[in-house]
Amino acid sequence: MRALGISVLSLTLTVIVLANAYYQKKQFYPSVVYITKSNPSMAVIYIQAFICVLIAGKIIRKIFFGQLRTAEFEHLMERSWYAITETCLAFTVFRDDFNPKFVALFTLLLFLKSFHWLAEDRVDYMERSPVISWLFHIRVLSLLLLLGSLDLHFIQHAYLSTISKGASVQLVFGFEYAILLTIVFNIAIKYALHSVDLNSETPWENKAVFLLYTELVMGLIKVILYIAFVAIMVRIYTLPLFAFRPMYYTLRNFKKALSDVILSRRAIHNMNTLYPDATPEELAAADNVCIICREEMTTASKKLPCNHIFHTSCLRSWFQRQQTCPTCRLNILRSPNSERTEPRPRPMPANQPNQFFNAFAGPNPFQIFNQNQNVGPNPFQVLNQNVHQAAPNHAAPTPNIAPPNIPPSMHIPGFPLPPFPLFPFMAPPPMPPQNLQHLGDEELRQMEGNERANVEARIQCLRNIQIMLDAAVVMMQQYTAAATLSGAFPPTNRNATSANSANSNPNTSNVGDNTTTSTSPNTTTTTATGSENTSASKTENSSIPLNGNVGSELNSKTFVDSKIEANVDIKVAASSEFDDAPSTSGSLSPEAEIRQRRLKKFQQITEQQD
Amino acid sequence: MAGSALRRLMAEYKQLTLNPPEGIIAGPINEENFFEWEALITGPEGTCFEGGVFPAKLIFPPDYPLSPPKMQFTCEMFHPNIYSDGRVCISILHAPGDDPMGYESSAERWSPVQSVEKILLSVVSMLAEPNDESGANVDAAKMWRENRDEFNRIAERIVRRTLGIPT
Repeated sequence: MRALGISVLSLTLTVIVLANAYYQKKQFYPSVVYITKSNPSMAVIYIQAFICVLIAGKIIRKIFFGQLRTAEFEHLMERSWYAITETCLAFTVFRDDFNPKFVALFTLLLFLKSFHWLAEDRVDYMERSPVISWLFHIRVLSLLLLLGSLDLHFIQHAYLSTISKGASVQLVFGFEYAILLTIVFNIAIKYALHSVDLNSETPWENKAVFLLYTELVMGLIKVILYIAFVAIMVRIYTLPLFAFRPMYYTLRNFKKALSDVILSRRAIHNMNTLYPDATPEELAAADNVCIICREEMTTASKKLPCNHIFHTSCLRSWFQRQQTCPTCRLNILRSPNSERTEPRPRPMPANQPNQFFNAFAGPNPFQIFNQNQNVGPNPFQVLNQNVHQAAPNHAAPTPNIAPPNIPPSMHIPGFPLPPFPLFPFMAPPPMPPQNLQHLGDEELRQMEGNERANVEARIQCLRNIQIMLDAAVVMMQQYTAAATLSGAFPPTNRNATSANSANSNPNTSNVGDNTTTSTSPNTTTTTATGSENTSASKTENSSIPLNGNVGSELNSKTFVDSKIEANVDIKVAASSEFDDAPSTSGSLSPEAEIRQRRLKKFQQITEQQD
Repeated sequence: MAGSALRRLMAEYKQLTLNPPEGIIAGPINEENFFEWEALITGPEGTCFEGGVFPAKLIFPPDYPLSPPKMQFTCEMFHPNIYSDGRVCISILHAPGDDPMGYESSAERWSPVQSVEKILLSVVSMLAEPNDESGANVDAAKMWRENRDEFNRIAERIVRRTLGIPT
């Protein structure tokens, strides 16, 4: 209604202007001159021309599109505002050529652009509409033909004009129409794909892949066009600010298309290599409906490690977004990875003749200490070195899985221990490869995608470290007690520890007994060690190798050294007990008795073990 | 064959029409556009929203079911998990990856296994048991926690309004 009012108003104004000119000049030519000389009259004529263009646009839109959908209209409006702003920016570059013809050409460009956008939206809609009539096909085909030929014509015109007259604003038009031509091609390919799909009886599974590649190729062509255009413009005129926004979007779309293609390829690759096709029996056993598309699975379907079955094409499009099972969210990339990395630490203990390593067939936390030889001061290093001094051939360092493959981000500041390799503890997250520079974008993204898992694994590692530290503190206490004893009875202690070490199959309760029995008579330390005790039993097998190793290889002197080292390095609250233990045993009056009792217990235990 | 999103939406529509869950009606606003649905949800019994019939709009993305739909109540709502413009904020409607409130685990996010029916059932249970931790509507969350009577009064007023009964 308002539009009608404005058109009528503008029409009356135009008539008034024309009548006035004719009334004053009486003849055709002078009145034309009069109008062109008078600014207000020209303004009215311009407005009228603009309204004529809008009306023409509406008529053409009616012919080719019928009623616009709300979404299409909103899309059109949004894009036109950007386009108009950019056209105004373009005017500033070519202000020397500014004349009515120039404005008219730009208006025509905008006009054609809007039809390209509409055609794009309409063809996208094909996939989403249940009913596609013949009228739709005729409209789209004729529109595409018309737009394509117009684009070609304008490109040719721009080319000829640039060749004959040199660079001018025609450069911009040539380039803009070239971009529009790629859009027409893109729409045409999409239209063809959708039509084939619509006419086929069964769903066309590879359509999505074709669409992806179309997007990629068209994106590449557009990117090349934009870069060439900007380069030419910078050389001849100035920086084409008006082309920056579309260029940015084109680059972004291209990047997205590229990553989509990569992800899709990876998904296809994973599905082809990692997951078996579902057999007809498996399909019959389940309820046979793909939960993604809610259709029966008769054609190609895949079974994931979690036994969930989906259509191959449905899975592929889902894996492009997320690498999890849609039903149970099992991380499908992670399971093959852990399978690959888990066996690696296992053969290592078997290679080492050390009996204590052999005693534990599973991943052994102690081997970490052998690997981290060259890193900063830590309490275990001392033990480690001692081990090597005494038996250099036993726990040989294993440089093939040395720490350098740990990214620096894994270093936790303020923590005295060096970063741990993750694998010996649990099902590890994907291992960081040796050299990050050799990684493709895709692989890096994969690592990033599992970031949470990495963090969790790291925290788990740190917890294990904490437990081992606690265990070390407990044992240091035992050894302190033993060291004070060994002052009195050196050979017995030696026997006790070596006997202890000779036992190749110690168990957790042993350690617990040890602590309780050795300290229970001493009332001052019971409460403190009680709490230690729980942590010691928590450590399970991790504390035992420490016990065995140290006991077997060290004499009492090195062990006091290590105690001192540990005292310096381990900033654990329990470290104060270290000092307590000897002092209490020195100050208390029934001290000798306690010592004797302890020693007895010690011997009893070792005898039991034997 | 039509696009996979369309086929899935048609299948879901059929399913919802054949076996409608209790207290829920949903379907496309216009049979020519299956990507915009309208739903009517009755307030769960035994809650402050009991008896109300709440209209909502569901907008599906072109790549449904890979991405979740958006849901928005078209009537006035006062609820901790509904924005003041009617948009529903529940984890099932959030794609894994974006986390507007920063607390949801990916296990409860959108996946193609979910469906319109499950969304609407989640919304019903959300009406019954608001999650006052997420706070799409902070005022409502605060009132739910601290002044339940006032909250119930407002809910009742909304229920009456949806039924066209003067308050």
